[in-house]
Amino acid sequence: MPWIACELHTHTFHSDGRQTLRELAAGAKALGFECIALTDHNTMTGLQDKETIEREAGLAIVSGMEWTTFYGHMVTLGVTTYEDWRPVGPGDIHRGIARVHAGGGIAGMAHPFRIGSPICTGCFWEFDISDWNDIDYIEVWSGTFPSIKTDNARAFRLWTDKLNEGCRIAATSGRDWHSQERTEEPVAVTYLNMDEGAGTVTERAVRALAAGRASLTIGPLVTMEAVCGSGSFVIGDAVPAAELAEGRCTIHVHADFSVRRGLWSFPEQTYTVHVTGNNGVAAEGTVTADRPDCRVEVQAEGLRWLRAELWGTVRGVRALIAVTNAIYFNR
Amino acid sequence: MKKLVLDVQGQVAPVCSRSHITYRFPLGERVRKLTIHFAYEPKNMDDKDQAKALIMDSIAKYTEPEHAERVQAKWESFLPLKNLITVSVDDPVSHRGAGHRHDPEQVLVIAEAEASPGFVQGPMPAGLWDVTLSMHAVVTDSCRYTLQIWGEE
Repeated sequence: MPWIACELHTHTFHSDGRQTLRELAAGAKALGFECIALTDHNTMTGLQDKETIEREAGLAIVSGMEWTTFYGHMVTLGVTTYEDWRPVGPGDIHRGIARVHAGGGIAGMAHPFRIGSPICTGCFWEFDISDWNDIDYIEVWSGTFPSIKTDNARAFRLWTDKLNEGCRIAATSGRDWHSQERTEEPVAVTYLNMDEGAGTVTERAVRALAAGRASLTIGPLVTMEAVCGSGSFVIGDAVPAAELAEGRCTIHVHADFSVRRGLWSFPEQTYTVHVTGNNGVAAEGTVTADRPDCRVEVQAEGLRWLRAELWGTVRGVRALIAVTNAIYFNR
Repeated sequence: MKKLVLDVQGQVAPVCSRSHITYRFPLGERVRKLTIHFAYEPKNMDDKDQAKALIMDSIAKYTEPEHAERVQAKWESFLPLKNLITVSVDDPVSHRGAGHRHDPEQVLVIAEAEASPGFVQGPMPAGLWDVTLSMHAVVTDSCRYTLQIWGEE
């Protein structure tokens, strides 16, 4: 299954963006994206020339909308018709999410800890959540060079907390891209491991993200495989309890430095790999551009989830460069 | 010929933030195009002291305590604070779009064969139409708006 470079949070002049869909698609293609989701604020009319622009730009466009409410911004992907955000009060978001799900879509919290009203209206998530399993994903990285920003770090901790509580919730990046202004900061990519089954790119992207088959990066694409018992498992999979009888798993982390070649560069270095789970850092290793594979052993006892993190130096800062979504462990 | 079908003006206060005002008006059988002129003012909060107080409160509320002081030190980067009212439209049958944008004066068209960005072109059913003003933020002591809608056959 191919990993597809996606930008999952964008706007055009159909809401408050300062770009057409054509300009956005061309800009995304130039940055090495193979797929974008259009998530205009409270409208889907920007998608009206979608097929033509997909052909022209040579990139896939996923339909979406950002519910830009008074109590939080919620990105929705895979919806094909407008769902009304206006009747949703602070205690009603589950009813809204139910409508998104009924329409074939998924819902994620956009930049949940960005400073809210009146600085940025509705930007801080204030909706009551009574069932976290209803939330399909959290945009843990918002904007460019996202991993060093404190409100993203807080969103990242929220994601980790929810994984620790047993929720199987995905994490994404999203630039919240409003215009074609150049940036010198590293651009984040959400890679989705799309199946080759039936349906449109939108449907395949939704399936991938709903299953947690996602990996975030500002550079190399990091993937992870767990070999437990007689089985081999990839990001988004759940390892059956029966495969954990030996009490340990081998984790193979691979960093693909060839992705989006020429569009990012970091100083030559030895990167640190953390294989992290509900018990903290379960194992540590290293990779370099020349030795992009890392194999470590982890104890399976008490394990509920694992992800791989790639740490290194970017722009003079020690930073999280890439992080996979989780492999889960059934107990 | 353009014919005025709605002409209202109003005033909202900060307490109206996070509320909607909907105007429901009848549209006749032969109307093929609506033009909506919506304007509100002021856009910005000019009183810097008042703005500073709101920004400081907002930072204290929405950032973690260990970061609040650092963010508050750059409070001026959040100026100017702005009122934000957006327009959305529903015809008797379906939703006709929204314009989530910051312009304090907007001329929006909805017609059979065309529509402003964010809005949906298509058949113009007769009956009761809704235009909704969504007050995302009212920061100034008062904010005045005008809403005029013309129908064209």
